[in-house]
Amino acid sequence: MSARSFHSVFMVASCAGAALCCYMVSLHVASERSQLEDVESRIVVAQRDMRVLQTEIGTRGRLTQLERWNASVLALSAPGANQFVSGGYELAKLTRNQPTVDFQAPVVLAAAPAPERTPAIGQESRDDSGAETPSADGASPGALLHQASLKIEPRDIPARAVAPVRAPALKTPAAKSIAAAKPAAEKPAAAKSSATKSAGKKSVDKPHLAAAKPVTKPARLAKTDPLAPLPVKLANKTAKDSGPAR
Amino acid sequence: MNAPSPALVAPRPERLRLVGQRRQILAVMHQRLMFGLLVYAGIIAIIALRILWLAAFGDHAGRKEGMTALIPERGDIVDRDGEPLARTIDAWTIAVHPTKVIGDKLALAQKLARLMPELSEEQYFAMLRSGKPFFYLRRRASPDLVEAVNALGEPGLALEREADRLYPQTSLAAHVLGFTDIDGHGAAGAERAFDKYLSDPASRGQPLTLSISSRVQQALQHELEDAMVHFSAIGAAGVVMDVHTGEVLAMTSLPSMNPNVPGQATPDQMFNRATLGVFELGSTFKPFTLAMAMDSGTVSGPGQMMNCPEVLPAYGHLVHDTHPFGRECSIAEVMMESSNIGMAQIADKLGTERQKAWLKKMGFLDKAQIELKEIGRPLTPGSRWGPFETMTIGFGQGIAVAPLQLAMGYATLFDGGIYHPPTILKVGPGHPLAPGKRVFTADTSYRMRSLLRLVVMKGTGRKADAPGYRVGGKTGTAQKLINGHYSQTINLTSFAGVFPMDDPRYVIVVMLDEPKATKETFGFTTAGWNVAPVVSKTVSRIAPMLGVAPDMNREPNMSEVLPFVRDPKQDSKKD
Repeated sequence: MSARSFHSVFMVASCAGAALCCYMVSLHVASERSQLEDVESRIVVAQRDMRVLQTEIGTRGRLTQLERWNASVLALSAPGANQFVSGGYELAKLTRNQPTVDFQAPVVLAAAPAPERTPAIGQESRDDSGAETPSADGASPGALLHQASLKIEPRDIPARAVAPVRAPALKTPAAKSIAAAKPAAEKPAAAKSSATKSAGKKSVDKPHLAAAKPVTKPARLAKTDPLAPLPVKLANKTAKDSGPAR
Repeated sequence: MNAPSPALVAPRPERLRLVGQRRQILAVMHQRLMFGLLVYAGIIAIIALRILWLAAFGDHAGRKEGMTALIPERGDIVDRDGEPLARTIDAWTIAVHPTKVIGDKLALAQKLARLMPELSEEQYFAMLRSGKPFFYLRRRASPDLVEAVNALGEPGLALEREADRLYPQTSLAAHVLGFTDIDGHGAAGAERAFDKYLSDPASRGQPLTLSISSRVQQALQHELEDAMVHFSAIGAAGVVMDVHTGEVLAMTSLPSMNPNVPGQATPDQMFNRATLGVFELGSTFKPFTLAMAMDSGTVSGPGQMMNCPEVLPAYGHLVHDTHPFGRECSIAEVMMESSNIGMAQIADKLGTERQKAWLKKMGFLDKAQIELKEIGRPLTPGSRWGPFETMTIGFGQGIAVAPLQLAMGYATLFDGGIYHPPTILKVGPGHPLAPGKRVFTADTSYRMRSLLRLVVMKGTGRKADAPGYRVGGKTGTAQKLINGHYSQTINLTSFAGVFPMDDPRYVIVVMLDEPKATKETFGFTTAGWNVAPVVSKTVSRIAPMLGVAPDMNREPNMSEVLPFVRDPKQDSKKD
């Protein structure tokens, strides 16, 4: 009974409720949208502020002003053509030069006593240089020291004592500063070889080997040290040999 | 007694009529009421529906229209790297409504004169008493001043925000940018040429990208200004252009102006010497004559020999040289020593008609095809264009063109002979490269490289060399026409250069108007002494920015020209 009598009331209430829900949804959407718009307008305001600041910074730091500061304070100039490096190789060349210079310094000091010995052992060293020049030429002070050690009987100890120091010292300068070392070493060698001009390559080789053998092991050292040039010489010899054959 | 009462009798016809009328009236009234009801109900329904509609889809009261995107009042102008060159800012404007002033006008005038001393107290007082409704006191006022004026508390003073055009780089590229008038419309330069684009609401949100590079522009402007001051020249102009696209990377005209305050600029400062001014640019024209001759086949190549006497009599005139050969000389030597006599003979062989046709093809007889409106019309001999005029034009006298056109000509010559119209807009997606037009053959273009490099290596343009950047070019010293006569002392010097010459990419043209001799130039006012060093300095500054790496081991093929140049040492030995 009561339900039927309140039927219309329920209908009205449910309709009103549904309408209210719809309204709430739309209200919610509207409020979300307004928040979004607030954010958007804040972004625009921020952009405008950024623009104003950028303009101000740009105006204060305009190129004319920078040029004026440069003229009065900084004095920077455009880089010269020689300040540009064309590739990685040139760049590497720039950086490697410094350590080699440092590295050679102690070698020079170590070789300081060498000149004393050269006159005494000079003959043999000349023979050496005449026969298997490049290794001896490659590192003049080191090579002299090394030859000195060859002749003296207790050579084993100094040779080994010097060797660890010499080995890295020899490798690096020989590899990187050949150009620098060569002229210095070649000149005396050339002068000396001119003195002993008559001696041909083969003839020099043999006396040297003969001289080296009685002193036992130095011959081995001579073989191991100039490994690189030796095959070249051999190749030359064979070429010379084959030359006339042709 | 029984007489019937009148009431029982049928009503009188008048009464009956009355009842019927009343009912009718009542019905009409009901109808009208119903109609009114419906009208009101309809209105209410419309209002209700509108309210519902607004509730569902409408905007809320706090909505800020037009704030969702930042569109300036007038579009920005930026350089090719995006650096702003012109912007619109909100500036403060101070104005006065004299009729609305309520305080003591004399006291107000005193205070205004103290704050803004550009006008005197009397002038302010006269302004306030004039009875006119409105005066601007200061546009683009500083915030401090606005605060001080506001503190005066006078309701007749109006403080307003107003869109104003700001050029952050001040005088940089002033003639390219131009300026705007008081209403915010472009009055010169790019502002005028692209006024529609910059003010159209649909397009002004996107900045206008120019081909100008502000750093290159600064380098060119600074070096040119230095030279102008050093040599006491009355003016100068310079253009840097991309050979392959015709883009103008820098264009300057000195004396410069500040577009922020265009009212302070003199007419001389406003004059764009690079595009509007036309000048007889002298020997810088010679490469064109030679290229025309080589393309036409009248000259075989740099090795061809010709007679180069001390003085050349031609058509009733005498042609002179600054360094006459007085012997047989090669084309390469003519170019290297900038010989008028040699070039006059080449032009004579070429002939008037062919010269005209070539110049027409290169665009030297018409206005330059650039977007700017300030374009000068070239001056030619016109109807007097005879064989002698052909000769003089051959070495650059008798034809006046704008420096921009000269740059355009060099760009054509060294872009494999293809002409691209110059542009001040960056070539890119929004502005494609304009179609080119072949003028010279690629072979001629290639052979000109070593010839112009020779001028810088051994000839008149030695001071223009920038080590490693392979600059090639040609000096030009033209005598100025003063009162109808060529002056012997007043010159207009120019240099047109191209770099790097082994693969040309950029053209640079600089010009000094009336440079004076100094101690360092040993009294000379020729181009080799005053403008050539500007090119050297500018190129060493801008080339690294433009991606041209210096290389001391690269040169164009100099073996094409060097065998044809006689060594002065050999000459002296022979003597």
